[in-house]
Amino acid sequence: MSRPDRSGGSRRSGTRWGWGPSAIGKKLAPPQLEKKLTATFLISALLIVVAGATPTAENAREIVAESQKRTDAKSQRYEGLLQVFDAKGKVADKRWTFERLGAHGQSKSVLRFTVPAEVKGVALLVVNHPDRASDQWMWTPALERDRRIALQDRSTRFFGTDFSFEDLEERDVDQFDYTLAGDDAVDGAPCWKIQSTPKQTKSSQYTRSLVWIRKDNYALARIENFVKDEIVRRLAYSDIRNIQGIWTARQLEMADLRRGSRTRLTLDKLEYNVPLKDDDFTLQAIRRQ
Amino acid sequence: MNLRAVVFAALVASAAAPAPLLAQAITSRGFLEGVGYWFPQTTSNDDVHIVGDLLAREEVFARAADWLRFAGGVDFRANSHDQVESDWRVDFQDRGVLRPRLSVRRLSATINKGGFNVDAGKQFIRWGKTEVVHPTDRFAPSDFINVISSEFLPVFGVRASFQHEGDTIEGVLTRFTPSRVPLLDQRWTAVPEEAAGIPLVDAGAMYPTGPQTGVRWSHVGAGVEYSASFFNGFNHLPNILSALDPSPALLLTRAYPAIRAYGGDLALPTKWLTLKAEAEYFTLRQTDAASAVPTDDYILYVVEFERQKGEWVFIGGYAGEVVTEQRLAVAFAPDRGMTKSFVGRASYTIDPRRNLAVEAAVHQNGRGLYVKGEYSQTYGSHLRLTLDGVGIAGEDDDFIGQYHRNSNVSVTLRYSF
Repeated sequence: MSRPDRSGGSRRSGTRWGWGPSAIGKKLAPPQLEKKLTATFLISALLIVVAGATPTAENAREIVAESQKRTDAKSQRYEGLLQVFDAKGKVADKRWTFERLGAHGQSKSVLRFTVPAEVKGVALLVVNHPDRASDQWMWTPALERDRRIALQDRSTRFFGTDFSFEDLEERDVDQFDYTLAGDDAVDGAPCWKIQSTPKQTKSSQYTRSLVWIRKDNYALARIENFVKDEIVRRLAYSDIRNIQGIWTARQLEMADLRRGSRTRLTLDKLEYNVPLKDDDFTLQAIRRQ
Repeated sequence: MNLRAVVFAALVASAAAPAPLLAQAITSRGFLEGVGYWFPQTTSNDDVHIVGDLLAREEVFARAADWLRFAGGVDFRANSHDQVESDWRVDFQDRGVLRPRLSVRRLSATINKGGFNVDAGKQFIRWGKTEVVHPTDRFAPSDFINVISSEFLPVFGVRASFQHEGDTIEGVLTRFTPSRVPLLDQRWTAVPEEAAGIPLVDAGAMYPTGPQTGVRWSHVGAGVEYSASFFNGFNHLPNILSALDPSPALLLTRAYPAIRAYGGDLALPTKWLTLKAEAEYFTLRQTDAASAVPTDDYILYVVEFERQKGEWVFIGGYAGEVVTEQRLAVAFAPDRGMTKSFVGRASYTIDPRRNLAVEAAVHQNGRGLYVKGEYSQTYGSHLRLTLDGVGIAGEDDDFIGQYHRNSNVSVTLRYSF
């Protein structure tokens, strides 16, 4: 069992707890280096022992909570490229801009299509709640009207992609119960495999989900969603990079296993803690184009 | 009150705003669309089987500052069946009998600060929640040159709203914009057989003066949305006043009743379905008894259910009418004509590129039936092909049934950019 890396994940230089190769070469003379290495080794060993003795890491909920905590940001903005593939190959490209204000369970987000031209301006407002399912509204410029997405409609595919409306909600740690389902590896990275089951207050199309969380940086690696015992959607996270201290997957691929189709979402121009206004996350605001 | 002055002042105030303005962000969208209709049957006043329609639309949105946005849009139209004006003037008023060749679709400024929002200029204002019939949608006149394929028209005015948490209060002040009615010499003006020999002559319109106002309060709760609204203005659908000319000809004049309307709407998502309902009580506003344009007092209401399941979307419901006081009037009233009907729509997404849809309305007395089937497919990122088939059946004295010779198929090709 690894210890949580609260600094934002492992450095990729081999040892996990301190310094990078550039620091060795540029700043430290050999005697200093030797001392530093010794100190680092001792500290690391101590920390590993402490971590091993701490039962919290075995607690599935705490792992998920730690994973969520590490992605906390006051706001987020990115431009997304959606590529939809059916069983025969690529079908369509869509682009959207995404802005989120607030953190898990309390956040609001607006997603607005920019491509293709015929859906340009279509916007989705999602207001997340800590104790229940999110509220969602869609603004359709061609009709000059907004429409609430009803709870029972959340399993519907979002604009021909393999993401459902529910998949666009933020998952909050308090909306699920967790059990540790063992260890596994995703793309060679050791992960905790955790089963999450929605609480009664969280209305969900999924009976349960399996969530893979990387041990080195607590980033999400994969989510498999089940309806009863059938796996229906698989979300794979890749190209995980540290952006402003937050380990973030730059590419998410959702596979609809019943249809045999998949949608790849690539995040461009991703920024955290950008200045956003609460007024821009209202029904009035999504009308403004 | 001079509405033009109010709107102009708002626009000027917006434009005079300090300017790191020059469009920090400009977006645009538009399309070029061609539609071809084939009507297998002729009517007593229209023997044309094939109608071609062309529409080019471009809309631009500029964000000059966090609190200030501008929107502009123009339409260019052409038509093979004389439904579009022949001159090249730029139309701003949407009061012509024919569709304008060039028209300003929108030209507005939006100012927002905190929960306050003001839209001034030519814009679209939509009220209500239901999908098929919209009783509370009082600021949304339509182009009914093709009755079953109508399109909303913009209005010129100011809309101010204030939102605080789940509540929004909205005030609207507009100049009157009428709905565009079917052309007298074409198939969407249904002429009874016995009157087929008498020429129908458009004698113009008596447009009301004075502004229209409206107030709407809406609430968005955790599991329910509802609103209440009040409208003081004119019906955008006209009464038809007729006079016999000795030539002989029937002179038809459009006149617009002054009305007040009180309404409300509701959207209630439940575990299985979403319930949507709308109702509006219309009453004659007797501004001047001598020149008043009569209209009934009546209630229009709609109750409908929506459900999405997998790739399917279902909408079904009932539109009704209760007349509380009847006055003698002949009117072009598709909103009332669609009531006492069961209405429904089902659509299916085959894949990200292809859709199927069927919609229908049937009068409860069985005297009018309308069914439309649609297949739509995209090619690449810009091109969409839509095939429609419309079937209409019924009796001459029924609003839907009177168009029973107007069943048609159409092909639409739209290039979006």
